[in-house]
Amino acid sequence: MNEAKKKKKLDSSIGVPNDDSISALAAFSMYLITGLFLGVGFWVARNKFSVDLVSDPPLTLFLLWSIEFPVVVIIFSLLRNAPEKCSCFRAIGRSILGLISGAFLNALGAISLGAPIGMQYLLRTVHWSFLMSVFTFVPATAVFGASWTDWHRVFASMKPSGNVEYMIFIPAYGAIIGGWFGAWPMPLDWERPWQEWPICVCYGAIGGYIVGQIVSLCAMFFLRKDEHLKVA
Amino acid sequence: MVTYPKRNNKLIPLAFLLIHSVAILIFTRGFLLTRTELPFHSTCSDVSLSPCLSPNPPIHHSNSNQNQPKCWTKPVVDRVVIIVLDALRIDFLAPSAFFPEAKPWMDKLTVLQNLAFGNESSAKIFKAFADPPTTSLQRLKGLTTGGLPTFVDVGNSFGAPAIVEDNFINQLVLNGKRLVMMGDDTWTQLFPNQFQKSYPFPSFNVKDLDTVDNGCIEHLFPTLYKDDWDVLIAHFLGVDHAGHIFGVDSMPMINKLEQYNTVLERVVDILESQAGPGGVHENTMLIVMGDHGQTLNGDHGGGTAEEVETTMFAMSTMKHTPSVPPEFDTSSCKQDPEGKQICISSIEQLDFAATLSALLGISFPFGSIGHVNPELYALGSSSLNLDNTKQPAVKEWLKSYVNVLCVNAWQVKRYIDVYSNSSVVGFSSDDMSRISNLYSAAEHHWSNSVKHILMYNDGNEDSTNTSALKAQIAAYLKFFSSVAELARSKWTEFNLSLMITGFGILVISLILQSLAIVHGDNKPYAVSSGLSTGAAFTLFIVLIRACSFLSNSYILEEGKVANFLLATTGLIKLRYSVMRKTMRKEAFVFLAMVSVLRVSIDIGLTKQAATSQFMSSSPTWMLGLAPDHPALTYAIEIAPILSVAALICVLYVAIARTHSEGIWKYVTVGSMLSYFLIALLWASESKIFGFDGLLQVIGGRNIIPQTVYVIGLVQLFLLASAHMFCSGKDKNWGSRTVALVSACSSPVILLSGKQGSMLALAYLLAGYCIMRLEGVERRTKSDGQNKFSKLDSVCVVQWSLLSVCMFFASGHWCAFDGLRYGAAFVGFDEFVLIRQAILLTIETFGFSIILSVFGLPLLIPSHGEKRHQLFQMYMLYGVISATTVTATILCVTIHRRHLMVWGLFAPKFVFDVVGLILTDVLICLASAFYL
Repeated sequence: MNEAKKKKKLDSSIGVPNDDSISALAAFSMYLITGLFLGVGFWVARNKFSVDLVSDPPLTLFLLWSIEFPVVVIIFSLLRNAPEKCSCFRAIGRSILGLISGAFLNALGAISLGAPIGMQYLLRTVHWSFLMSVFTFVPATAVFGASWTDWHRVFASMKPSGNVEYMIFIPAYGAIIGGWFGAWPMPLDWERPWQEWPICVCYGAIGGYIVGQIVSLCAMFFLRKDEHLKVA
Repeated sequence: MVTYPKRNNKLIPLAFLLIHSVAILIFTRGFLLTRTELPFHSTCSDVSLSPCLSPNPPIHHSNSNQNQPKCWTKPVVDRVVIIVLDALRIDFLAPSAFFPEAKPWMDKLTVLQNLAFGNESSAKIFKAFADPPTTSLQRLKGLTTGGLPTFVDVGNSFGAPAIVEDNFINQLVLNGKRLVMMGDDTWTQLFPNQFQKSYPFPSFNVKDLDTVDNGCIEHLFPTLYKDDWDVLIAHFLGVDHAGHIFGVDSMPMINKLEQYNTVLERVVDILESQAGPGGVHENTMLIVMGDHGQTLNGDHGGGTAEEVETTMFAMSTMKHTPSVPPEFDTSSCKQDPEGKQICISSIEQLDFAATLSALLGISFPFGSIGHVNPELYALGSSSLNLDNTKQPAVKEWLKSYVNVLCVNAWQVKRYIDVYSNSSVVGFSSDDMSRISNLYSAAEHHWSNSVKHILMYNDGNEDSTNTSALKAQIAAYLKFFSSVAELARSKWTEFNLSLMITGFGILVISLILQSLAIVHGDNKPYAVSSGLSTGAAFTLFIVLIRACSFLSNSYILEEGKVANFLLATTGLIKLRYSVMRKTMRKEAFVFLAMVSVLRVSIDIGLTKQAATSQFMSSSPTWMLGLAPDHPALTYAIEIAPILSVAALICVLYVAIARTHSEGIWKYVTVGSMLSYFLIALLWASESKIFGFDGLLQVIGGRNIIPQTVYVIGLVQLFLLASAHMFCSGKDKNWGSRTVALVSACSSPVILLSGKQGSMLALAYLLAGYCIMRLEGVERRTKSDGQNKFSKLDSVCVVQWSLLSVCMFFASGHWCAFDGLRYGAAFVGFDEFVLIRQAILLTIETFGFSIILSVFGLPLLIPSHGEKRHQLFQMYMLYGVISATTVTATILCVTIHRRHLMVWGLFAPKFVFDVVGLILTDVLICLASAFYL
């Protein structure tokens, strides 16, 4: 449903690109890097610490987000708005702030949707929300900073302009929607260890994130092409 | 919209109420099998009414039984040891030769097999058929009453599990037999006073394989040596629990079976050592039986072959057992690996109570519809041929058996007659006349020929006498089998065509109701993009919720599912409100209220898990604060009263804001008074305010609640009369709604207890936010004041989900132990069925249905007359409720043979159906009041 809504919005808003700092190919390679480091996170967790999401969710989640975070920050800091005014270090600094505040908002959202609130789940929830924040808030803070108009335009109104903004908001929405669907198997009585909070939500979010990346690539590719045709 | 006919609007909800009632009635006839429990008991003297021979005069014997008083039949065994092994599959006991493939769990109870197939044995293995529902409680009830327990056994034991119907255990006590019980504590729940000695052990912890069994073993062996009992019942639970946790094919299961083998070996040793003449077990019968089977996963409850096929082993310590004539022999034989012929017989669990009663010579339970099983009876009748050596054992046994069957048939016929006369839904007259014909034919044969044979047994004409006896037995067995068949079709088989008809009518009503919403909405702007997105989203949410009922897990956690969906709608609204840059505060407050409700739902779930057999309790909501922390207790005392104060303020503001005067205002003031009284009551009940003496001053704690009820009734009366006499003057339903909702809310809050006021506050806040957020996705900043007259389906869905959440947040769940019976006695001490039932209904559905249906008009923010929109909203609300009920009905139809059908789906069905009817009735009332 949301997907459909988004598509419709995308169709209606073939935006007016203000900066074309990145091509679809470059975006693809960046996605590859983020995906690679997500894989590295899992690899480190499995081979260096010999844990996985099922056996030790907090530690694995911590490894995942702490490995993914620098990569995402560096990639999106390179793409930041107005690079001449804002140094790269400043972008990194504000993305750390974004990480924390994003984690807070994600945790609140998860709790209102029914995430467990007991003490034994606290650490898991914290690390899960950090990972979600890396997927959702960190890229946007790195690029936009505290510019409310940009945030509002991209996330609320869904009127992105340019490839960078596609890269920010489609995977972010993908992660959230994926996590939402990922919560569905949790109440079932299959008694599988991965039904514990937040393991399947995590898988859902990662899956949604990757689908979002693919969708955003498609959007860049096809919408761009449309535009070129139109211009021609 | 002014031209919309007014009369129509009031009749349409009534029409849907009727359609829904008819559909549900038809479905319930097919699904909820009911049986009326009769309060009658059999007594020894009854037998003189029967055409049969009374056991005393004609049969001459010189047995030790003679000094005991005789009852319906001549007792043939003195003592019975019943060992129940819970969930004993047939292949645990029967030799593996009877099954296509030998499995690791077979042939473990070798001691019983050797006894049954040994030479000149007086032991037998039976294949026993249980009747669904195959849960322990229902099975024990069935075994002891000799009937077929259904989901709704209408009787006067509602709530308490103790059996009030006449039963085998009760008859034993009446006949002066002494009972000892050990093991599963379900027995002591069912029979609280009947056991002379009992050693119950808790049965609910499925993970504990040994406590019950070890306790049983500890008491079993010493008791067997004593002579201060007549019937011993030992109920072992290990196999059932091992099956639930590990499954049948597992080491713990095999260990359990091997343990039982050693236990049984010792039991048999003790019995045989005492079996000599004069020993305590001279004439004892040992019965080892399962109450039901289990699947390979350890599940039971349904009606599959694995679950209903269990087994029974019976052995008499007297050796010379008469053989049963081949006409009545049910055994099936196989060759064992050594080429020996081994046979197992079969028996229905239905017949257990009658057979045991006949063996012990007590009167049969009044409601038993089973018959005395020939083979089991033969096992016990070895005492018969001790005293009479003139005649062959078979003939002596036939004579005794035919008389027992005569008494048995008379008793069953008496029950069937009394049942169909006194029950609400009896048997059809065709069935009754068929059964009566069979019985009178058998009885005719009895009085004309067989009776004479028995009375004047001269030993002549052996062959004709024997064939006459056999014909008599066959006639009786035919009667019994047709009674059992009729009873099964009545009490254990669903009527699928009725169920499907009911479901179909409900689906049609859904379509009609949806059409009623769309009807009249023919203005061109109605189908704008905003509306269609909202409608699609509504459909999506409602369908997800409906589909969630197809799984038992989602039903168990229904509150969480509803809360999840509600929070999702809240997040979507939040996104729109951020997008439109308006009402952001309300969206956040709404999510905060949803979070509050979810904590409350979690607390409710832990309460549910404590009693539910399907849930494991996981206290996820614990915050690490000790429950008796002083700050916490203080907060618990203070918060409800503060919430009531806040509610009074809200009402005051509501009155002050509205410009209408007249009766509505005074009604609302009455509610404020009620709230104040409630706060006063709670303050005087707690210790920290120092109002303890207040209750004594005003004379008892029932005065305040009764005053609140009276105020509520007066308010409703005033509203109704005002509506009748002043209609047309006041078109503004804002103040009317406030008056009606507040009038209803005070009893609801009072009955809900101290959480009620806090929940009401959360409900109010969340409802206010829904109202403010209504249509936010269509609104732009510029036309924020522009009110659309279209229906916003999302906000109705939110309101409906919110009311579902309120049901669970107020500590209810869809099970009968989820009802808060205590609420029925707020303000009253003595029990009056109708009054207490009304109070219980108000408490159960107060927040979730009564307040939410009456409060629906509050969601329309603007003033002025929008009668058609309100009608649409009510229709939409009705469709949403009906959709969920339809989904529940579909689920119940699909899962009618599911393990949890009686534990989970049927209670859910009952709650949903009652909720739907109540919703429909209230929608009728509300549309009469508002439209």
